[in-house]
Amino acid sequence: MALEDIPRLGCGRSIDRIWATLNQPPTAHEAQCDQCQAARTRLKGLSEATRSLREGDLHNPALKPRPGVTNAILDVARAEVRRSKRILLHRTDNGTTEISEQALSSIIRFAATTIPGIHSRRCRIEIRSAADSLSGEDNPTGNSRTTTNAGPHLFVNLRVAAAAGIDIPRTVDALRREIGNAIPAGVGISAGTINITVEDLYDV
Amino acid sequence: MDDHGPGFEAEPDLDEGSIVARAQDGDLAAFEHLVITYQDRVFRLAYRMLNDRGQAEDIVQETLTTSWHGLHMLADVDAFGGWIYRLATNKCLDLLRKRSTRAENVTNPDDIRSVTETGTTRAAAGTDPAHEAEWSAQQDGLTAVLNTLPPAQRACWLLREMHGRTYAEIGATLKISPTAVRGTLARARHQIAEGMSQWR
Amino acid sequence: MSDQPLRGQVITSQLIASLAARTALETRGVLRLEPTIKGFLARLGPAALQNLLNPGSQNGTYKHDGVAATISDGTAHVHLDIATDIACTALTVAEAVQQRVRERISHTGVTPGRVDICILAIEPQSWKRPT
Repeated sequence: MALEDIPRLGCGRSIDRIWATLNQPPTAHEAQCDQCQAARTRLKGLSEATRSLREGDLHNPALKPRPGVTNAILDVARAEVRRSKRILLHRTDNGTTEISEQALSSIIRFAATTIPGIHSRRCRIEIRSAADSLSGEDNPTGNSRTTTNAGPHLFVNLRVAAAAGIDIPRTVDALRREIGNAIPAGVGISAGTINITVEDLYDV
Repeated sequence: MDDHGPGFEAEPDLDEGSIVARAQDGDLAAFEHLVITYQDRVFRLAYRMLNDRGQAEDIVQETLTTSWHGLHMLADVDAFGGWIYRLATNKCLDLLRKRSTRAENVTNPDDIRSVTETGTTRAAAGTDPAHEAEWSAQQDGLTAVLNTLPPAQRACWLLREMHGRTYAEIGATLKISPTAVRGTLARARHQIAEGMSQWR
Repeated sequence: MSDQPLRGQVITSQLIASLAARTALETRGVLRLEPTIKGFLARLGPAALQNLLNPGSQNGTYKHDGVAATISDGTAHVHLDIATDIACTALTVAEAVQQRVRERISHTGVTPGRVDICILAIEPQSWKRPT
């Protein structure tokens, strides 16, 4: 489809041109051309109808999906979010304790909300899980009944958007400290390595 | 409010990019926010494309469920809105193609009437009856003519005029150039304006 | 029935699951079991509800609403998916749940086996209350 497809009146004026200048006074040609005047009148009517349909639809309570639709969408999401990665925190003969990456990121995100000028974005957590740690330096005997507070070693990769105009290095340091405190307090394991990337700025 | 995850009510001014990024991580509260933001928009688009409440609801459900599944592949968090409109539009066009191959007219007149009446009642507040009647007739004319346009042209017009999407985005959705979007829009406006003048 | 001692063979996996769920919910710091599928089940209709609530056989596995229990050879294994309060240390909460569930199971005469816990969500409790 090319520009030539734009309909023209018998006088040669394109509909596009008339539409674009509807709010301006008619040109000398338009003022004396019957076709242009008729087209302007029709398009003005369309412009008004378009605006009223847009506003009407926007505020029409009947033009919304049933609440059941929202629930059905969220049910699918809920059912599938359970499959997110799980991190082994602790294992004894009495059983294991795992945490979802989701739950861990919510601790990290919650910590980020306390730092002004930061919106947390994607959060990736890589781990060496408790089982690996236990058989490694944390527990050379490999005794599975030993409780360790060291737990898995976390590598937190958090991406954030920062408010335009803030002192980024200072803010990122404060954020790192806050996360470093929040993970032991909220989860009960040490925070490990925290990498923060400022990927975007947002306007305040 | 139930079902709001951490960091959400504490950050009411969160930008959409950040919300999308969190939803990409599987944050349900973030995804719920996006669902609530977009479900009415998608419904309005689908309803005007399909003229069928039930099918419009199906489009809303399919579009947003698909978005959940594909969210992790979205490279640019700021492109979420455009992506949702693209998914929804193409699902509507697919459905209309299936309908036409079945040579079936599923437009439900009761459905349209009920929506129109509610809209009219709502808009009546604070307007004089003569104006209201004119407004209603104008809208009826517009929607009636709109429904005679070919689906892709109707989608183009709705995306631009009802939803304010950009030429570039509409072009990507309909797989045509932004210039072709401009041409399609001009023809749609011309046809609707002509049709409305005859409709009255 | 009342003077009959509770023995392993009369305890079903469903009973163990319900005991474990109740014990978990009574533990400080546990907000709920995950997923909260009560509303989901209601929407699926009676047939699905019946199917999901169908009690497991005596030696089978019973799964429901964030809890799964299996009894084999007189030993009960439990898996719980929980959401915890951000004000508490999640690992401490999980350990308390594990210990209490094992205690409760031992009171039934069944040998407590592994009690596995997965913390699926951590949330502030105050946000769960309507304001």
